[in-house]
Amino acid sequence: MERKTARNFFIWGTAVCTAIFIWLTIDTHTTIPKRTNTDKLTDEVVRGKRVWHKYNCNDCHTILGIGGYYSPDMTKVYSSRGENWLRIFLKNPESTDPQRRKMPNQKLSGDEIKNLITFFKWVDAIDTNEWPPKPITVAKVTGAPLEETAQILKGKNVYNQNRCDLCHRIGGQGGVIGPDLSHIGTKRDTKWLSNLIINPKSINPMTQMPAYPQLSEDEVQALASFLGGLK
Amino acid sequence: MVFESQKVASKYFVISAVFFGLQVVVGLLLILKYIWPDPLIGIIPFNTARAIHTNLLVVWMIFGFMGGTYYIVPEESGTELYSKKLANLQFWLLLIGGLVGVVGFLFGWTAGRPLLELPVELKWAIVVVALIFIFNVFMTMIRTKKWTAIQGMLLGGIVMLAVMWLFGIPFFKNLTLDYYYWWWVIHLWVEGAWELIAASLMAFVLLKITGVERQVIEKWLYVEVALVLITGIIGTGHHYYWIGTPGYWLWWGGIFSALEPVPIVLMVFDTLNHVRHKKLEITNRLVLYWTVGCALFHFFGAAVMGMLHTLPQVNRWTHGTQVTASHGHLAFFGAYAMLILTVIYYALPALKGLKQFNQRKGFWVFWITVSMMLTLGLAFGVAGVIQSYMQRGLGIDFLTVQGFMKPWFIAVFIAGLGFFIGVILFIIDVLQIAMKKE
Repeated sequence: MERKTARNFFIWGTAVCTAIFIWLTIDTHTTIPKRTNTDKLTDEVVRGKRVWHKYNCNDCHTILGIGGYYSPDMTKVYSSRGENWLRIFLKNPESTDPQRRKMPNQKLSGDEIKNLITFFKWVDAIDTNEWPPKPITVAKVTGAPLEETAQILKGKNVYNQNRCDLCHRIGGQGGVIGPDLSHIGTKRDTKWLSNLIINPKSINPMTQMPAYPQLSEDEVQALASFLGGLK
Repeated sequence: MVFESQKVASKYFVISAVFFGLQVVVGLLLILKYIWPDPLIGIIPFNTARAIHTNLLVVWMIFGFMGGTYYIVPEESGTELYSKKLANLQFWLLLIGGLVGVVGFLFGWTAGRPLLELPVELKWAIVVVALIFIFNVFMTMIRTKKWTAIQGMLLGGIVMLAVMWLFGIPFFKNLTLDYYYWWWVIHLWVEGAWELIAASLMAFVLLKITGVERQVIEKWLYVEVALVLITGIIGTGHHYYWIGTPGYWLWWGGIFSALEPVPIVLMVFDTLNHVRHKKLEITNRLVLYWTVGCALFHFFGAAVMGMLHTLPQVNRWTHGTQVTASHGHLAFFGAYAMLILTVIYYALPALKGLKQFNQRKGFWVFWITVSMMLTLGLAFGVAGVIQSYMQRGLGIDFLTVQGFMKPWFIAVFIAGLGFFIGVILFIIDVLQIAMKKE
């Protein structure tokens, strides 16, 4: 091959590929409104994104899989944790377990938390070609085998979303402030459990456990069924 | 050295080496945060440290590229630099800009976008620096009698570098579009503009040390860079699999990035070929080692490690894990760090008019940094595979999985310490050569 042929190959190859790339970019832009629900991209979401930038969250956390690998990915955090959990966590992220990696308290204002959660909610709905992938098998929350009815799965979700594990343990996982719940179903029935969840002080006036008035009646029932099934 | 004005390059090389050292110090701090609960969480939390680590990388590499360019352009163009004053001014501006950026991060002055954390004011300042640089290089080149491919490629590289940077400046409301154009900076730099600059610097060094005809070297330069751009531009698509962009990117990105190793294989082949057909006795054996080592490590870190997780079927599981950290470290070291060290070990002694210099330390630097970076990168890789399998495959909680990865983070730290020793030796070597009386 001559030097001149090589030069032509360079010029034409680059030009053609650049043209294809620009064409693909233009086409991608036409798909963005539908794939990212731009109609739901409100000012609040944008303000939330600015909070995300302001505290440089992205250099610890990934989002859409991009960023720092030090902390969990935020793409699906809204659907996996829920609004309530996020609000409580963002207010005070200090983990109860000092041995683990923890997130410093960013001292976010109430508005900032609200906007950030709205941003996460919008991100959650982006069509990511099904990323992150569903695990091949799901590790169990408890050591004890559970009959996983819809009701119990929902209860497990309530347990996770409200971070009950910060104080309680199931199968060795969780905090040590509250009692171990691994076999709570052998001692208490669902009626007793739901009364406790609605108003812990009605059972033990000295308890440190906070009430959870934000839980709906359905959620309380589901949580009680889940806990009652732990034998 | 032929021209007096090439001397401006030395201070670029010195700062490049010093910032390299600082980058590694912050790297060590980062990996410690993975291993133990973090006592510095209040002063330099992980995100701040990461911003400093990555920005120092970019700054020291840009200093290296600019120094290399200022060394090469007068010699290629057969004339003194257009303006030594501008080259000096631009050096100080970049140095101050870089330092203000780093100190700013410590006080939370950030744009909060990974790798592009510099606040918008500083980003525009960088544009000014880049314009001065391009102007100076361009004005020197147009005095030339014979336009060479190395000059053209180098100029193309620095212009592309500056143009792509512009896409990193605006604020995007839509996160998907934010990342879409974010990659125009990140990917089209490292698999576009930087490759152009690196390939032309390397072609120059090969031309000088082997004495192979310019016709031959420049022909290969064209072919390589053509293939880099043909595969690399559309290869940007391998970053568009999961960010909200259409599914056809899995095809475009998958196929074109599967071809990305081709130019690098060619580069290894053609470097070895030039060395085999050398017309000159190579006196600076150290540069020969760095040149060949750079080609081989470039192939391993960028091509092999990149290729391993660029296919959508694999990337689905490894995206956003330490696998990327592994590839990032190996690729940057092989493709760019080693290249800049090659250029420095070629140009700095030449600037001092040293026909011979003590190369013992340089060989130590070579073997220590290469072996330690290899270990470090592979340890990150194992951590990443564990993470992909347990977290993505089995759906185990993020922090629980991090516990299983800890032994490999400790391995990264130990290799990092070794690497740091190599870099200290390098800095000492550079300072000693730079301070030699002519």
